[in-house]
Amino acid sequence: MIRKMVILIAFISALLASVPVLLADQSSQEADASITFERHIRPILKAQCFHCHGEGEKLKGGVDLRLVRLMLTNSESGIVLVPGKPSESVLFQMISQGKMPKGEKLLTSEQVSMVERWIGQGARTIRPEPAEVPAFHITEEEREFWSFQPVRRLPPPTVKHEELVRTAIDAFLLDELEAQGLSFAPPADKRTIIRRVTYDLTGLPPTPDEVATFLSDDSTDAYEKLVDRLLASPRYGERWARHWLDVAGYADSNGGADTDSDRPWAWRYRDYVIRSFNADKPFDQFITEQLAGDELVKPPFGDLVGEELDKLIGTGFLRMAPDPTGDNPADANLARNQVIADTIQIVSSSLLGLTVQCAQCHNHRYDPIPQTDYYRLRAVFEPAFNWKEWKSPAQRQVSLMAREDREAADCIEHAAGTVDKEAQRLHDELIEKFVQKQVTLVPEDMRERVIGARRTPADKRTEEHKQLLRDYPTFQDNILLGEIDKEGAKRVEEVRKQAADFRTAKPVDPMVHCLTEEAGKNVETVRFHRGDPQQPKEKIPPGGLTVLASLFSQEIPSTNSQCRTTGRRLAFAKMLTNGTHPLAARVFVNRVWHHYFGAGIAPSLGDFGALGERPSHPELLDWLASEFVAQRWSVKSLHRLILTSTAYGQGSVHPASQNADPDNRLLGRIRLKRRDAEGLRDGMLAVTGRLNTNMYGKPLPVAVNAQGQVVVGSQAKDANGDPTGANAIDGDEFRRSVYVQVRRSAPVGVMETFDAAAISPNCEIRAVSTVPPQSLVMMNDQFVLERSQDLATRLRRERSGDARGQVMLLWRLLFACEPDNAELQRSLVYLAEQTEAIRSTVDPGGEKKKDAKAPAVDVPLQALASLCQTLLGSNRFLYLD
Amino acid sequence: MHPANFALPAGFCSRRHFLRASAFGLGSPALMWLLQQDGLLAEPARPELELRKFDLKPKSGHHPARARAMISILMIGGPSQMDLFDPKPELKRREGQKFPGELKFDNVGQASAKVLPGLWEFKKHGQCGTELSELLPHLATVVDDICVIRSTQTGVNNHGQSLYALTSGRVTTGAPTIGSWLTFALGSETQELPAFMALTHPSGAPLLAGDNWSNGWLPSLYQGTVIRPKEPRILNLDPPEHLRGVAQERQLAFLRELNREHLEQHPAELDLDARITSYEIAAKMQTAAKEAMDVSSESEATRKLYGIDKELTRDYGTRCLIARRLVERGVRFVQIINNGQSWDHHSGIIKALPDVCAKSDQPVAALIKDLKGRGLLDSTLVHWGGEMGRLPVIQNDLGREKVGRDHNTYGFTIWLAGGGIKGGMTFGETDEFGHKAVKDIVTHHDYHATLLHLFGLDHTKLIYRRAGRELSLTDNKPARIVKEILA
Repeated sequence: MIRKMVILIAFISALLASVPVLLADQSSQEADASITFERHIRPILKAQCFHCHGEGEKLKGGVDLRLVRLMLTNSESGIVLVPGKPSESVLFQMISQGKMPKGEKLLTSEQVSMVERWIGQGARTIRPEPAEVPAFHITEEEREFWSFQPVRRLPPPTVKHEELVRTAIDAFLLDELEAQGLSFAPPADKRTIIRRVTYDLTGLPPTPDEVATFLSDDSTDAYEKLVDRLLASPRYGERWARHWLDVAGYADSNGGADTDSDRPWAWRYRDYVIRSFNADKPFDQFITEQLAGDELVKPPFGDLVGEELDKLIGTGFLRMAPDPTGDNPADANLARNQVIADTIQIVSSSLLGLTVQCAQCHNHRYDPIPQTDYYRLRAVFEPAFNWKEWKSPAQRQVSLMAREDREAADCIEHAAGTVDKEAQRLHDELIEKFVQKQVTLVPEDMRERVIGARRTPADKRTEEHKQLLRDYPTFQDNILLGEIDKEGAKRVEEVRKQAADFRTAKPVDPMVHCLTEEAGKNVETVRFHRGDPQQPKEKIPPGGLTVLASLFSQEIPSTNSQCRTTGRRLAFAKMLTNGTHPLAARVFVNRVWHHYFGAGIAPSLGDFGALGERPSHPELLDWLASEFVAQRWSVKSLHRLILTSTAYGQGSVHPASQNADPDNRLLGRIRLKRRDAEGLRDGMLAVTGRLNTNMYGKPLPVAVNAQGQVVVGSQAKDANGDPTGANAIDGDEFRRSVYVQVRRSAPVGVMETFDAAAISPNCEIRAVSTVPPQSLVMMNDQFVLERSQDLATRLRRERSGDARGQVMLLWRLLFACEPDNAELQRSLVYLAEQTEAIRSTVDPGGEKKKDAKAPAVDVPLQALASLCQTLLGSNRFLYLD
Repeated sequence: MHPANFALPAGFCSRRHFLRASAFGLGSPALMWLLQQDGLLAEPARPELELRKFDLKPKSGHHPARARAMISILMIGGPSQMDLFDPKPELKRREGQKFPGELKFDNVGQASAKVLPGLWEFKKHGQCGTELSELLPHLATVVDDICVIRSTQTGVNNHGQSLYALTSGRVTTGAPTIGSWLTFALGSETQELPAFMALTHPSGAPLLAGDNWSNGWLPSLYQGTVIRPKEPRILNLDPPEHLRGVAQERQLAFLRELNREHLEQHPAELDLDARITSYEIAAKMQTAAKEAMDVSSESEATRKLYGIDKELTRDYGTRCLIARRLVERGVRFVQIINNGQSWDHHSGIIKALPDVCAKSDQPVAALIKDLKGRGLLDSTLVHWGGEMGRLPVIQNDLGREKVGRDHNTYGFTIWLAGGGIKGGMTFGETDEFGHKAVKDIVTHHDYHATLLHLFGLDHTKLIYRRAGRELSLTDNKPARIVKEILA
């Protein structure tokens, strides 16, 4: 990849001598130097061969490729490695003839040739190999990988154009730019800036008044004041919470494949995230609360209020993974383990920036993460999840109910429970009756034995029992009453319904969707062979990543006498936030950077491992991470630092940068940014003046409208209960998108089309697509048409009878600027022409029909709405520069 | 453009900036040429997780292709192979006897070990003599064009997992489906219609709903566009009354004008250009998609061939005909899907199976005939099948009217036609009971490798890089191109 880029760049530079070659080709520099096992060969073998030849349960063919000295021995096929003689080495024979690796992808010809040259050069290693073969060997090269190294704070470099340096960020960026004969783009103008920063911080367009205030403010700190105002706005928390909710995998439904049941109290976690960002809660505290909030507070949890309650709510983070275990999943054990696995994936990608989940079944193929590390991490969370004494999503909720309500509810529950038991008794009786009837069909001499087999618990059955049940399968377990006795099933259902009726009288129980650990449980974590819960192996204690152990201890005590619970998650959170953890701060500042500049310094936001892309500016990333920690993990300080840089204030057009650096890795310009799904919906609501800024609370319902689209609103149904359309919800349909119910199975059409977060189990990075259905939305969707009408109505209200003024205001609302004269004239002509076109469309004969039933079309208003719609659908509105 | 009036400290904006910026003007032909070259050359060099650019322009594969388009007729639920495609005389001989081997049941409460023979008569058809059940009289008329694979196997005994395996190569949710892979690899031959379309059933969503046409982790540009089962079949195709015709044309013309001016100010931004194109496709879709969906322009004979004249076959007939019209217009991949899992006959198979066959047999056979008649079959791969088959024993042993069959993913039948597939043959065998595939087993990975091969694609080379990993449809699993069935 790098080579191709170099060719391109060299090509351009040859044409334009003013632009020098950008990057040195590292791989070609190394090509003819000595090839070593550690640096060049081991990574290839680790990825494709260790699985069978070193790290598996058995050594296939007696071949162990983990160390060079182990290859010098004989194997079933001969001597694996003969230094200096590739053709005599079984290793080379196998890979060059395509016999190995088996069944999987073969090595590339480059890799084969690398191995050949390495053997030819004498199969060198950098240093003597260890005497013992460790179960999982982490080499020095692997430890030296950039993201496992401590954060190093280097002084910002000295640059030629110090006058362009406003923050240290600029010095780091400019250093690289100047080295390539480049610089920043010319600064963006003030209107572009207020539009950009208002969108980045709040997700909304600036109002014309806000623009006017900023433009007329000549003070030297006008921009800083603007940034402070935006950071203080509650809209800021709503915007940045959404970014975090993506990586947390926030959803208001449980995500089962068949039944996507409601997750009725998840919204408290969403509100907690909004509050945390608005309050600039230090990020270390934010992490700690989300991982271990329940270990920070004292039960009874139902009595918690205020900040203490927020700590508990924070653990909702660990309850965001899909959890269909309350919806009768086909395989309960599998489903439970999947909930834990998904949670580990969310924790790992969001906080560690690693794909630890890849080590669930085997050692990580590319990163120095042994399978045991996966289970060490699992052991951190296992006591709270406790898969052997599993709780459904509903059972995990914590009630905030007042005592008297609780007593009333308990009383009703007791009564209902008695009825439930009666239903179960009836059910069992009917099943037994069925069995007794069935047994008469069995030959008499067999009956007792068949019944005996049925009565024997499944795990105690002998081969004979099993054979009997195969011969007479109606006596196997899990007979469904509904399938064998519809009448009986109905009777049971009627009794169950009585219990349900009782329960409707229960006082509503306010809940928290969170994770709590029960004290005093001894929950073991074992390694699963090949990740299969049916194949438990050795016990694994909790801990962090082995590869980091040389930096500081990665041990986590199994129990903590100071703690009510095991304290494992709290210890893990402390490890992450101790200020020297190499991943936590780097991963977060990189995400923030991504949202401002359209790509992270390390572009693979959730993978800081070997397969992730290397950071373009590692020193800058480290400086930011270090500064973030030094500023007590203040996210708002981080924002200020970035926002006041020259880099952020640049323009988006810069031919020198575009030619020499098309991917903009050096940031010699600002990347154009398309409004994201929320930014588009909220932006349209804002410019029309419709936006309802009420905060917090239960999610806004979604419904299927008459055209079959999912929209914000309540579901209208006909007499049969079939959906007929969506009803308005008292102005709540105009609230911000972050409050709209996130149903995994029913994403809102307008937002889904514009690449809303796809959460499976979380969303590390959103796709950005450009597809015709988006254009159809902007052309014909009801939501867009209604907003265009709203906008036209607003223009008319605020600039009555003044077409010119209406156009001017429209431009100000959407683009934070005035139209130039050509644009103004063009718009006025458009209005006039469109008025005629619409008039001839709605009234082709030229005579108004005197049909009282047909609502009269306000043609000039429709023409104005058409202008509004055109501008809302234009790239100038859809993108920010 | 707007004047640079953003107040910054002195020296912040140096003259050098402007000098450098104007060193080569924006309009210079050399620059434009370079930018075009960038687009071509820079594409493979784009780093992972950058906002990569993707498009639907037609592309060629790794080797010459036999198939240009695919129509996948998904029959979810598990069509009974021994009642439709895989005659087993041994079952007749052992009728009512105890099944001698191990069986895995889904519904134990209704299970039995009693062998249930095929309930319908089989006859040889066509030149090839492929045996088909009397339930598929129309398919029998095109049997020389189809290849019946009797040894399909996924080995995951559950509807959802097995369906995922067949549509996406993995047994869990989240991976891209075949249609996404094909459009990702080959683009589309029409720019007036979406490249990948799913035609769903009017009675409701299929099992796994949108996962059947999911782009998974491929860019959403490659996601299937769902065609609603009733009119209007595509949403947002209709402008509001007052914006029809010239009013909308004017609106789009003005929009294009604004977007072009905006693009001139951001000349290197390919995405802005892509959106201009996307509005153009969308505008064409308003009529093109509507025209493509409108089967009323077809001749009476064609409509009759597909059974659109009859209530029973109208829905499948219409959708099969639409599928042909889409393929004819350059759409790459069309899915025709049943509702729920309507082939899941745990009980009452004696009535339910003929019913469900009767709704689709004629339309499906018509599709083959029609494609062939128009010279489209050679380049259109047609697939018919579900995610499993059924057991050779009775489920729900309460009399002939009530009996059914339970799940079986160890050996079941699908069929393929056209697009480089050898017609008039059967491939693979199940055991004497039709229970497990025993000869020439075709796994979902084999099926995928084979169909990619027909499209000129090498399943080991068709990869998508995501978060640094190389992902493929066959998931790096053993996959064999089933050469025996290639024409």
